[in-house]
Amino acid sequence: MSDALETEVSRALREVPLRRAPSSLESRVIAEIIRREALPWWRQSFTRWPRPARAVFAVACGSLAAALLMASWPFAPGGALAGAGARSAGLWLPWARSALTLVDVARELDAALVRAIPLDWLYGVLAAGTLLYAALFGLGAAAYRTLYLNLSSAGDSRS
Amino acid sequence: MGSNEHTTVQTPSTEPSSSSEFTTFMRAYQDMVFSTAARLAGNDVQAQDIAQDVFIKAYENFEHLRMSPAAGGWLKTVATNLSLNYLTRYRKRWRFFSEQSSVPEVPVPDESVEDLGANERRALIEEALRRLPPQQRVPLVLYHFEDYSYQQIAQRLEVSLAKVKTDIARGRAALLPVLKSQGIEGAGE
Repeated sequence: MSDALETEVSRALREVPLRRAPSSLESRVIAEIIRREALPWWRQSFTRWPRPARAVFAVACGSLAAALLMASWPFAPGGALAGAGARSAGLWLPWARSALTLVDVARELDAALVRAIPLDWLYGVLAAGTLLYAALFGLGAAAYRTLYLNLSSAGDSRS
Repeated sequence: MGSNEHTTVQTPSTEPSSSSEFTTFMRAYQDMVFSTAARLAGNDVQAQDIAQDVFIKAYENFEHLRMSPAAGGWLKTVATNLSLNYLTRYRKRWRFFSEQSSVPEVPVPDESVEDLGANERRALIEEALRRLPPQQRVPLVLYHFEDYSYQQIAQRLEVSLAKVKTDIARGRAALLPVLKSQGIEGAGE
């Protein structure tokens, strides 16, 4: 295809005028703006929160993340500060040791449950789940292609 | 720039004070935003959703946009980005669910296009564009309507430069019957 044709195609397409937006667009936008304005501040986008609220939220999130990191990483069994470090840390973070104990109990309970169930059962459940998921996905795709796309194509050919 | 003077909006009492100014702003640009979204998305319903999102963003930035000479460019860029985001987001899902073995044929009118009015010719080209598969329509629209270069399109769509050129050439070839029917010189070369 020649450059001349490219130029001609370009010219032809540029001559196509803008499409007129549907008359409902304006009212839709205004309605959406009003709906958003009516929302309480905490349900609006974070950038529209009051500045103090944003600061408090950021500090709270930072503190929570730091606390979780401190509680789970260095003092965890096998962690760099496990043992003596954890004991000394427990002096200034007593709740961290309680939390760790709780985590250990939960982990042991979990392991006991897994041990109690035969391995074949677990594999069977996993395979059945995968099979059902694939079947459901395939059925959905087939239904979409058969029902929706065929109807759309029929609509296109009529228009 | 098109305008929609026919549109009237009931202004509720809760509407923000700057809303009449914003409504005027929106009327000045809504045809351009809608056209950009419709040509890229190839779907009027989706184009309306995209245009709505564009104007919501414009409203959030209206303090900067109301006096800016670059407001039109800003709106066009946002409309293009949101349309491409939409297409990218649904690309894999769309491929899986609706991959078609053949590209739908672009309809060519039986009568001579010289007999058609400007509206019919415009509708014919818009329909031909809409029927192109997204991988051809999107680079074609970006190249011919949005003034992107091949390189920019390749970067934006994250595909190779060769693929962009091939897809645009195929898109043009698919449009050829319609363009030839409009008597474009060189369309038969």
